Amino acid sequence: MKKFVALLLAVVMVAGMTACGAKKAASASDSDMAYVKEKGKLVVGITDFAPMDYQENGQWVGFDADMAKAFAESLGVECQFVEINWDTKAMELDSKNIDCVWNGMTLTNEVTSSMACSNAYCNNAQVIVVPADVAGQYADAESCKDLTFAVEAGSAGEAAVAELGYNYISVADQASALMEVSSGTSDAAVIDLLMAGAMIGEGTSYANLTHTAELTAEEYGVGFRKGSDLAAALNEFFAAAYADGSMAACAKTYGVQDALIAQ
Amino acid sequence: MFQTVLNALNQGFLLTLALFLVTLAGALPLGLLVSFGSMSRFRPLRYVMRTIVWIFRGSPLLLQLFIIFYVPGELDHNIWAFSSGRFWAAATAFILNYACYFSEIYRGGIESIPRGQDEAGLVLGMTKQQIFFKVKFMQLVRRIVPPISNEIITLVKDTSLANSIALAEVIWAGKKFMKSDGLVWPLFFTILYYLAFTGLLTLFFGWLEKKLSYYSV
Repeated sequence: MKKFVALLLAVVMVAGMTACGAKKAASASDSDMAYVKEKGKLVVGITDFAPMDYQENGQWVGFDADMAKAFAESLGVECQFVEINWDTKAMELDSKNIDCVWNGMTLTNEVTSSMACSNAYCNNAQVIVVPADVAGQYADAESCKDLTFAVEAGSAGEAAVAELGYNYISVADQASALMEVSSGTSDAAVIDLLMAGAMIGEGTSYANLTHTAELTAEEYGVGFRKGSDLAAALNEFFAAAYADGSMAACAKTYGVQDALIAQ
Repeated sequence: MFQTVLNALNQGFLLTLALFLVTLAGALPLGLLVSFGSMSRFRPLRYVMRTIVWIFRGSPLLLQLFIIFYVPGELDHNIWAFSSGRFWAAATAFILNYACYFSEIYRGGIESIPRGQDEAGLVLGMTKQQIFFKVKFMQLVRRIVPPISNEIITLVKDTSLANSIALAEVIWAGKKFMKSDGLVWPLFFTILYYLAFTGLLTLFFGWLEKKLSYYSV
């Protein structure tokens, strides 16, 4: 019995190795656009991030989602949205689980060095979030220097507080950063202005929070695999959509028209 | 709102449950094979299996999830490019990891059965297979129920690790409400799902142990 099982295991292992070796290598020489067109769909990596990408009646909508759908249509492919873990977006791209990250992504050095990025299309800022009852004392960045901050790991907000030399801890996402402030485990958080508009204040679980000073201004862009020719294609698409006014109209639908950058 | 949250969490929990069941269905038998391998008298096989067990028990499951899901694609062989790819990547990681834990429990169980039973069986002219299945197997099952149930309950909770590769299980479903609606309670509410499920499992294993204990009257 044992010998039989031993043999069986050996066979399975050898078969497994051959199967790996035999798999056809994807031709790396093909352009990324050709790859997407051949596949027939553009897989867009997103997180749930109003007003850029969020769900309404089971459909993904938002400024980014709508523009992504329009871009996919211009390529003649289907647009598919996949929720990803924000920490591993570069890995999702490289491993071809997604074709682009289109989710209000701040163009930081890390992002531009690990992805082929489009031109910036939207302005944003990092803002400090504190409990509303103490907001008066912390109106500017200087007055917050003795507070402990909660920031999203790898976010622009983390870079901003690190540069100021303030005390901070990194948490999994912006929502967790807000929970830290709300539960008192941290004094303040730094999150995106666009997100702060949607997540704190009246009618949310964070009615007791408010945002005060802006730390840094920043710009959003779309990320593709390194070396992808889709970034250039998107720039052309943006320019055309900006020229004919469809981009501004889409921005207006989601209330981000003031943040839009001329293409 | 409560109904919306409940529906989303139920959906997430179905995925948790599916991952749990697939893992058990794969890991319980695979663990037995691995335990035979790691007890084999054929030395190279024994060393290979023990090395594999060491790798899977000796590294974080979270890291194994990342490696299994992302590394094939990084090497330009994305084997998870189908629609439920994330689920099967997670299931593969869980099956391999848990098979290794189970294999050591099986090995402990098998080796705890007195050698005299083998000898008695041989004297009576039974084959090795007959001895294993007709004499030792049920004793083995009885001995490994407590440690296996321990692992299985750990598995229920470990399924939550799959949300690191964006599998929308129950915790992911709960967290979503923090991002989209600024609601915190759905995340904490998921604990009820885990407690209810592990509660049922505890009752089941208690019943099973009683059923198998042939010494009691």
